[in-house]
Amino acid sequence: MSVLKYESAVRAPLVDGHKTYHQVTEDIIRPIEAAPSRLWKIGFGISVALLLFGVYSVYREVTYGIGQWNLNKTIGWGWDITNFVWWVGIGHAGTLISAILLLFRQGWRTGVNRAAEAMTIFAVMCAGQFPIFHMGRVWMAFFVLPYPNSRGPLWVNFSSPLLWDVFAISTYFTVSLLFWYAGLLPDLATVRDRAIVKWRKRLYGVLSFGWTGSTKHWQRHESLSLVLAGLSTPLVLSVHTIVSFDFATSVIPGWHTTIFPPYFVAGAIFSGFAMVQTLMIIVRKVLNLQDYITLEHIEVMNKVIVLTGSIVGVAYLTELFMAWYSQNPYEGYAFFYSRANLLSPYGWSYWGMMACNVISPQIFWFKKLRRNITVTFFMSVIVNVGMWFERFVIIVTSLYRDYVPSSWSAYYSPTIWEIGFYLGTFGLFFTCFFLFAKWFPVIAVAEIKHILKKSGESWKQEQGVLEDKKVDEFEEVMHH
Amino acid sequence: MSKSTIWQSFGQRNQTEAFEELGQDEFREDLPMELDDKGILDAKTPRRDFLKYLGFSTAAASLAASCEMPVKTAIPFVNKPDNVVPGVANYYATTFTQDGDVLSVIAKVRDGRPIKIEGNDMSPITQGGTSARAQASVLDLYDTRRLRFPAQIVDGKTQEIPTFEAFDKTINEKLASLGGAPVVILTSTITSPSTKKLVGEFIAKYPGSRHVTYDAVSYSGMLLANEATFGNRAIPSYHFDNAKVIVSLGADFLGTWLSPVEFSKQYSKGRKINEEKVELSKHYQFESILSMTGANADERFTHKPSQEGVVAAALYNLVTGAGASGVDEKLKAGLEKVAKDLKAANGEALVVSGSNNTNVQILVNAINSAIGAYGKTINWSVTSNYKQGVDGDMAQLVADMNAGSVGALFILDANPSYDYPAAGKFNEGLKKVKLSISFNAKLDETTQLCQYSLPNNHYLESWGDAEAKSGYQSFIQPTIHPLFKTRQWQDSLLKWSGSTKDYATYLKEYWMEQVGSIENWDAALRVGVRYPGEVSVSAGSFNGAAVSAALSACSVAPQAGKWEVVLYQKVGIGTGSQASNPWLQELPDPVTKATWDNYAMISAAAANELFGIDIRKNGDSDSYEVNPGKPVIKIKANGQELELPILIIPGTEKNTIGIALGYGRHNKVGIAVRGVGKNVYPLASVSASGNRVYMVANAEVEKTGEKYEVAQNQVYNYYIDSLGVKRVEVVKETSLASFKANPEKFKHERDHLFEDYAKKSGDYRNEGSLYDPRLNDRPGIHWGMSIDLNTCTGCGACVVACNAENNIPVVGKKEVMRGHEMHWLRIDRYYVNKPGGDPDDLADVVFMPMMCQHCDNAPCENVCPVAATNHSSEGLNQMTYNRCIGTRYCANNCPYKVRRFNWADYTGADSFSDNQVGIISKVTLDMNDDLTRMVLNPDVTVRSRGVIEKCSFCVQRLQEGKLTAKKEGRPVKDGEVKTACQSACPTNAIVFGDANDKESMLTKSREHSPLRMYYALEQIHVLPNVNYLAKIRNTDEVEEHAGHGHAEEAAHG
Repeated sequence: MSVLKYESAVRAPLVDGHKTYHQVTEDIIRPIEAAPSRLWKIGFGISVALLLFGVYSVYREVTYGIGQWNLNKTIGWGWDITNFVWWVGIGHAGTLISAILLLFRQGWRTGVNRAAEAMTIFAVMCAGQFPIFHMGRVWMAFFVLPYPNSRGPLWVNFSSPLLWDVFAISTYFTVSLLFWYAGLLPDLATVRDRAIVKWRKRLYGVLSFGWTGSTKHWQRHESLSLVLAGLSTPLVLSVHTIVSFDFATSVIPGWHTTIFPPYFVAGAIFSGFAMVQTLMIIVRKVLNLQDYITLEHIEVMNKVIVLTGSIVGVAYLTELFMAWYSQNPYEGYAFFYSRANLLSPYGWSYWGMMACNVISPQIFWFKKLRRNITVTFFMSVIVNVGMWFERFVIIVTSLYRDYVPSSWSAYYSPTIWEIGFYLGTFGLFFTCFFLFAKWFPVIAVAEIKHILKKSGESWKQEQGVLEDKKVDEFEEVMHH
Repeated sequence: MSKSTIWQSFGQRNQTEAFEELGQDEFREDLPMELDDKGILDAKTPRRDFLKYLGFSTAAASLAASCEMPVKTAIPFVNKPDNVVPGVANYYATTFTQDGDVLSVIAKVRDGRPIKIEGNDMSPITQGGTSARAQASVLDLYDTRRLRFPAQIVDGKTQEIPTFEAFDKTINEKLASLGGAPVVILTSTITSPSTKKLVGEFIAKYPGSRHVTYDAVSYSGMLLANEATFGNRAIPSYHFDNAKVIVSLGADFLGTWLSPVEFSKQYSKGRKINEEKVELSKHYQFESILSMTGANADERFTHKPSQEGVVAAALYNLVTGAGASGVDEKLKAGLEKVAKDLKAANGEALVVSGSNNTNVQILVNAINSAIGAYGKTINWSVTSNYKQGVDGDMAQLVADMNAGSVGALFILDANPSYDYPAAGKFNEGLKKVKLSISFNAKLDETTQLCQYSLPNNHYLESWGDAEAKSGYQSFIQPTIHPLFKTRQWQDSLLKWSGSTKDYATYLKEYWMEQVGSIENWDAALRVGVRYPGEVSVSAGSFNGAAVSAALSACSVAPQAGKWEVVLYQKVGIGTGSQASNPWLQELPDPVTKATWDNYAMISAAAANELFGIDIRKNGDSDSYEVNPGKPVIKIKANGQELELPILIIPGTEKNTIGIALGYGRHNKVGIAVRGVGKNVYPLASVSASGNRVYMVANAEVEKTGEKYEVAQNQVYNYYIDSLGVKRVEVVKETSLASFKANPEKFKHERDHLFEDYAKKSGDYRNEGSLYDPRLNDRPGIHWGMSIDLNTCTGCGACVVACNAENNIPVVGKKEVMRGHEMHWLRIDRYYVNKPGGDPDDLADVVFMPMMCQHCDNAPCENVCPVAATNHSSEGLNQMTYNRCIGTRYCANNCPYKVRRFNWADYTGADSFSDNQVGIISKVTLDMNDDLTRMVLNPDVTVRSRGVIEKCSFCVQRLQEGKLTAKKEGRPVKDGEVKTACQSACPTNAIVFGDANDKESMLTKSREHSPLRMYYALEQIHVLPNVNYLAKIRNTDEVEEHAGHGHAEEAAHG
């Protein structure tokens, strides 16, 4: 699939370092064949430890009840659903990069799409833990699946946004996984073909589904990618729209607002890109992939961040405006007291959100800062902290003081097991990511080769050489 | 069927007429549901007509009791007793007595276990009303820490004495060896005429012996004042219903004073509003702390506790035409107004005082006499027996004990080691008594120090009688065989006085003399009460000789320091005798909304002075409210020193501290009292005149740097939010003057909604929704509830009734603090301040019972992913626990926040084992004991961990009522089914019924109050089935702008 339509005079090359095809393969596949580095082992160890702590936290919650968390009669959702929305949001960048940018023929995506897609899958896996384990009776979770059953049959409630979530998230996960895996096939075959150890040949042989690189394979692969991209594109918009419906369709002031779908989608892309930045900056450093994930990539993603951050900012201001304009006292209270008043119990979370999501990304209007890796890394973390605040603000500050003042809640802060569950999903995420980075090509080798300027450059160079050559020499070359 | 070739019987094959007829019937065979040998389809009598069965069962029970030795052990049925149908409840009239309180009740008995207490409608005194404590008393029966056998007490521990015979033998020997030293029977007030006779007979056998009545909280001052002014050491009958002006000088007559249920019933009559002709009784309260009664008052004035005499004297002077002195301007103005109203009421007025100071009570009598209350609102021809203890008697007894002149001391339902101010002296004396026997049911503070313990039966296991007022008797009959090896103390007295009779026989013989025949006795037991047909009214003859001395004694306030302490009783815990009851401990106090503790109630001004917490400032109030940790103060008073957390209660007199009695009980009394509160009885003292004083005029208060966590179920206290917006969609209240000036105000607020969202049809219900209006067309029964905020006093009887009826788990202090309490019904309390910004200047306190509103357009229903909560065709919002997976989305989306989640395995119903210990509180664990679980209502599912639950409108009762009606082939009659909260309410504030029945009480309640009727949060179009009637307080101020806050412009949803 050629994505390079024309040669840009202004655009910098997408891959640096005048790589040859072989070099590309070497650079990306080598780490898979080598023994894991010390750094990898340490990182993996920490991730697994976090994961195990998370498993224990969840074990406690499942065995002893949701009372292991500090939720209460007024605040029914807290860290659990905050983390759910946060992780789902993070996943969005991967899909956006792989699907929408593919359809828009954005060549730069190839440097980051594989890792971003993996991130999507792992983030959705993490996200999925929360709606599952926030259930009081998780062993009955299968009740949410609409299948013909012997209980009547008793069907699910199709008007519940939580049920829409079930469909949205599971569809999203399935399509993302397929898309990611389809993209992996040629690269897995490359690993197989390079393998000198028997077990690796066999393992990757199975994983690559017998890919031979025939034209037919490539043709099917391209069609499948397009179809999946077509399927994923609406998902980028729909998943977070549906997640936002969890709140928007309710009657709670601060939740009941029509602005949520676009606002959530923008926020999701915002946080997703920030997470991609965080990961890519680490990966390019650790795996020495600076030539593939270039400053160009980082800059262009920073542009997306400043755009979506500003969209989110406008959404925040719109909410405040509507709270005033509607003159609905309950909405007014939620926005002007529970949130915008810095001195109210959770005022810190609202202003933390504002500072992280709206104000600080504005530094990316400056090219110098956009191209500064340290600043970018720092900002990417800030943005994700801010987006966590945003979900916390939406969920907790709306719930803790809603309609009936008698039920206003005492201060909610999480228990160690609530935090442990969150940390556990970090453990899950990074465990998966470390495994992925070790056993799979983190950059789409086949796709990078499509955009390798090297091919064009070499061709041009050769043409130039040819012009100087004599006919017999040329003929000799042609004979080869 | 006629063509069928397959047949089951010859009848079917031959198609006989009889068979055809049988085929018409729903049930081919008679169902075992009726007791009168008639088939179910022929039965005419409603099954719930319990009196009939009472008659049968009582006759059988009394027959059995008189002819046979009682069976000692409980065995499963081999042959089914005639009057027990599994799954069908029996109801027995009995009487709840505690500390002299008498409440005629009906015990609901399922399969031999009493599980619920209802008020007895036949009682002319309580008229079906109950209190939280009466409702909770059924749980005491199954208390795991009840004493279970007769025992000798050694070093505070029980050593079982194997048989009653052995016990009797020991005691008889000991009594014989007393050598003429007197026997003293120390009890709390005994209202039982037969027991009194028995005690008299017993005393006669032991010359020099006496009976001393000791009440934990004394009414001695009142008794002595009445003796001084009426020559009768008794308490007359009060009639709050006849009073147009009610003045209470610190008497919490709706909560804890004398006979609160009786008074609540009477009081509520003057608080009902007929919108055609609005008239309300006027209630003034003078007090030092905000009591529940004060919270219900129209106008409240506060004074220092030491000023109670001065206030009474000033009022007396004003009523009799002299001027008031010794009171500040604000109080004076108030007193002048009160005096004017009292005089103008022409005898339809009543002044009561909660003071235990004889002089104050003499002045109160003088005021009542001056305003002509005697004979109109106070009746001397019927006297009350609730409290009979005179403090001097107790003081004498303690002195005698210390002098070694008491031979034997029998103690029943009295606990001086805990609640006597000079408990140390009592304990000293107790050691010198040769024989001390406690009949108390628990190993309480006093029993631990006695030599022997012979636990009395619980009242539900007992025979007995009670005379609440002269001529008004109420009977006690056992509803269950004694669970343990306990014996009624009257039996012991009979045994030890050489009688061979048991008390049941004694009681029957006693009453046979009065009622004449066995039929009458059975009828009396069946109905449960006996009262005179006509009541004479007597004003008594007031003798004012003592008044001038009392006046001069009261006119000068005693020397007082900066801080004063007043000791009060909580509505739930009272004197503390029932403190081990987890339902009562978890019942939020009506005023403070705190559970599981006592604390120092202080005014907003004092909190500001001590800790710099200014609750008018949002920042301060937020951080005070949202953190359960409250600052701790050190109080030095009466030689005692104790540390307590503060709770800011607006409307408390500045520099006055209110602390509840009844806490800090000994660990052995029960699991529920462990670590709960501090005992402040030692702060009480005995005055020069011998009466106990429940205040300290000279206390020192210091702040400490510590914090202590208090579990409140409500932390924000106003219906005005922190931005100053009145949430009038939640609470509607106004003054009578405003209501008269602008009667349409509340209606206009609703009309707004109709104009905005139902322009075309005016039908907000249908037009206000995008959905097909036919969805709202619900024929048949449509259950609904109407709650009158004007008569709700906040007493909490409904809350405990709901706990008992619906198997609601107790979660313990820590869980309440974490917002995990499970109550399906709560009473929201909102302070309303007068304009001017002084938080201590209260205009009103609104109590708002809040439970599931059973919305017809319920926001919880559509968000549940698995349809575990759904709507019935009868308007009920139903929970299907089996289906619930516990996402809590419904709870989040409930605008009323009435849904409760099972955060842990509170009930043991969970399928996971070993997940309770260390997770749920010890109290909750104790409630899972097999014994305590006997109190569970078998008609209501016990919910497991991880599911949501909430008010069901007592659907089990509705089903039972419908079934009865169906069997009789008729529609359900209005008033036939009552929810637990409704039947418990002492003021009839809750009306329940079918909204589609045009004649139902519910429809009438709504239609007769169009000006006050509203639905909470109607603007979100959730279409609740519970409506409220706005609260009108009887004051003269007219609100400006008639309360047009912008809250009324609240947009739709």
